[in-house]
Amino acid sequence: MNHPALALRGLVKRFDTKLAVNGVDLDVPVGSFYGLLGPNGAGKTTTLSMAVGLLRPDAGHAWVLGHNVWSDTVTAKQLLGVLPDGVRLFDRLTGPELLAYHGLLRGMDPAVVDQRARELLDVLALSDAGRTLVVDYSAGMKKKIGLACALLHAPRLLVLDEPFEAVDPVSAALIRDILQRYVAGGGTVIFSSHVMEVVERLCSHVAILADGVIKRAGTLDEVRGDRSLEEVFVEVVGGRTTTGEELAWL
Amino acid sequence: MAVVDSGVAETGVRRVSIWHFVRLKYRIWRYTGLSSGWRALIFGLGILFGASWAFGGMVLLALPGMLDHLNAGVLTAAFTGAVLTVGWLLLPLVFFGMDDTLDPARFALLPLRRRTLVAGLLAAQLLETSALTTFIATIGLVISAGLLGGAAAALVELVGVAAGLVLGVTASQAIASAFATLLRSRRMRDLASVLLAVLATLFGPLLIAVMYAITNTNWDQMTGVARVLGWTPLAAPYTVGMDVAEGQAWTVPLKLAITALTIGGLLWWWSRSLESAMVGAASSGRARAEQAPTGGAVEALIPRFARWLPRDRYGALVARELRYWWRDARRRASLITVGVAGVFVPVMVNISGGAMNPEAQQFDASPIVLSFSMIFVGALASINLVNQFGFDGSAYAAHVIAGVPGMVELRARVVAYATQVAPLLVLISIVIGFAIREPSWIGIASGSLVAAFGTGLAISLFISILGAYALPESSNPFAVPSGAGMARSLLSFVAVAGACALSVPMLIGSVLLSDMWRWLALPVGLAYGVGAVMLGTYLAGDLLDRRKLDLLQTVSSQR
Repeated sequence: MNHPALALRGLVKRFDTKLAVNGVDLDVPVGSFYGLLGPNGAGKTTTLSMAVGLLRPDAGHAWVLGHNVWSDTVTAKQLLGVLPDGVRLFDRLTGPELLAYHGLLRGMDPAVVDQRARELLDVLALSDAGRTLVVDYSAGMKKKIGLACALLHAPRLLVLDEPFEAVDPVSAALIRDILQRYVAGGGTVIFSSHVMEVVERLCSHVAILADGVIKRAGTLDEVRGDRSLEEVFVEVVGGRTTTGEELAWL
Repeated sequence: MAVVDSGVAETGVRRVSIWHFVRLKYRIWRYTGLSSGWRALIFGLGILFGASWAFGGMVLLALPGMLDHLNAGVLTAAFTGAVLTVGWLLLPLVFFGMDDTLDPARFALLPLRRRTLVAGLLAAQLLETSALTTFIATIGLVISAGLLGGAAAALVELVGVAAGLVLGVTASQAIASAFATLLRSRRMRDLASVLLAVLATLFGPLLIAVMYAITNTNWDQMTGVARVLGWTPLAAPYTVGMDVAEGQAWTVPLKLAITALTIGGLLWWWSRSLESAMVGAASSGRARAEQAPTGGAVEALIPRFARWLPRDRYGALVARELRYWWRDARRRASLITVGVAGVFVPVMVNISGGAMNPEAQQFDASPIVLSFSMIFVGALASINLVNQFGFDGSAYAAHVIAGVPGMVELRARVVAYATQVAPLLVLISIVIGFAIREPSWIGIASGSLVAAFGTGLAISLFISILGAYALPESSNPFAVPSGAGMARSLLSFVAVAGACALSVPMLIGSVLLSDMWRWLALPVGLAYGVGAVMLGTYLAGDLLDRRKLDLLQTVSSQR
């Protein structure tokens, strides 16, 4: 039986009086490059946090390749690689130390950890950082080492929250390249973003989330039709454009 | 005051008064303090705790007046003043943390005049709990002055006490601001935090030494010291009421002038350094781009002195914790605090009278006092784990994602911490044993210490899961979130009190089995302490498994 790489059903999360996610249903097909779009505060981070088991939903379920994230936790988490946004790394370690730490936490063989860490650091151009602590890395380097931690145990599904935020073009190109190779090799990626160009360039599938609900989902062509993704996005989330009469005092 | 000053805009701009800052502070406080049931409870208990200290202090300071002892009144006013002023400089940094509700950096983009900002921040700090607590306590000096010298003395003392508070708070803010300026790079900050921790912890022993000196020196000498202190900015404002009571009212304008000048100077210094404090943390210093270590990543993670660690999940956790106790400025500062306190408390408690006098042959040390002081040290050493997950903050998410079992996690943390602290504790008990010339009591000392340390760790594990709070991702290693200073003290107090209570069997042992206890104390204490830790990690591990998501949410900074 073919399970989707990630399946979400009826996810709901409320923070005090605010309903952050209001019944999200989503299927991410295996081998897809899935973009989760949404304006700020749409509920992207909350949805992804619930999908990977970092936040307990008030209602609903999440499955990773058929394994329930909340009842079959260990198997589901083994299949997952996660790059959360706004979450600190254990940044008082050096890059190699951090990778070794993540690898051993995942129960990997030390020799495999060493070999993969070396390769990842080389490919992501982080080998030169030497003994620099991650806390002293630039924003782009931090994203790259975070991605390396997520990739180290060769997961089947990568969940990335804003992987291109605050990243310079050179690092962004490198991250894009690695992710494309990962998907070509049979992996699945779902990432959140509000940068249309990146999503249009990379993704095979797109979902638009606004006010805690999936407004549109499908392949990139299905969602955008014959218009640009940005036009569809602004229309779906109900963005307004200025008429020119406001802010006359400015 | 805003843009009006520059004449850019004329409409829609209201003058910013200091009350804006006070209201802002209380509003943030209310929101954070009452955001959940638990927090509200801790907040309420903290206020209760503070109030009891304040009124207790007030009664103590009023005693000289009640006993009609003018000389004691002069001494109390001068030494209280000096201790409070020095305390304002150092204590908030370490023991209560710097409340960063109104971090100047948050006002960096607002067009505020420096004078408005300084006045506003000062007003907000003056109405804060620690300032109010101090003020209430020092009202005791006013009562004392009133009883000794009548209404005029009380009135003058009230002015003095208020001026002293302003001086203390200004000094504390100016120092913090100056530090922000100095500590631009992370590396410098880390280094300074260590120095500061040592300095601040030495304050406690210094205080004990002063108290010791007071009780052992003749009163005339001490009065002389008090009079000198009274002419320094440290105690000048606090002694004016007593001067009136002594019939020396002429000193009042002079001492108040000294105070005013000092406050003026501090305000000037503060406003000078404030601007730089407002410009957030700059570069983190030159990165040490040294060659990567030879050998693999895994070997790089394991510290050289801990090669015995298994290369698995447990080993990785211990290795990371070992590195963090030294690389994380907050942790390092707390480790040093425990180190210094652990050495001084038993020294002060056990070495009485004769120790300071080389000619003395007799020590009135007793195994019960020794046992009790060691229990206190052991309990104190365990409180560093009270907010262990708060130190990690949102980074703890990595453990949740990797599905680390609670018991493995806690055991690793305890082992890593004990590896750093246990050698020091063993050393302390040996040194104390020899210092009091009773080497045969070393067993009692170390047994009590280990028992209290173990039970303290077990209690701290539970508190670290149930009472965790987020630490701000601030450049200041001593920063605590709004209103959490009280919570921090309260949780530490619970851990120390709990560990002391659970270690009572060790005290009973030293009372009932005096001779046999010399040999039994160490094995019994060891078994008791290790057993408590094992049981604690087992039970708390289960709790952690159930609560790890709530814990992650709690310790992830909201900003």
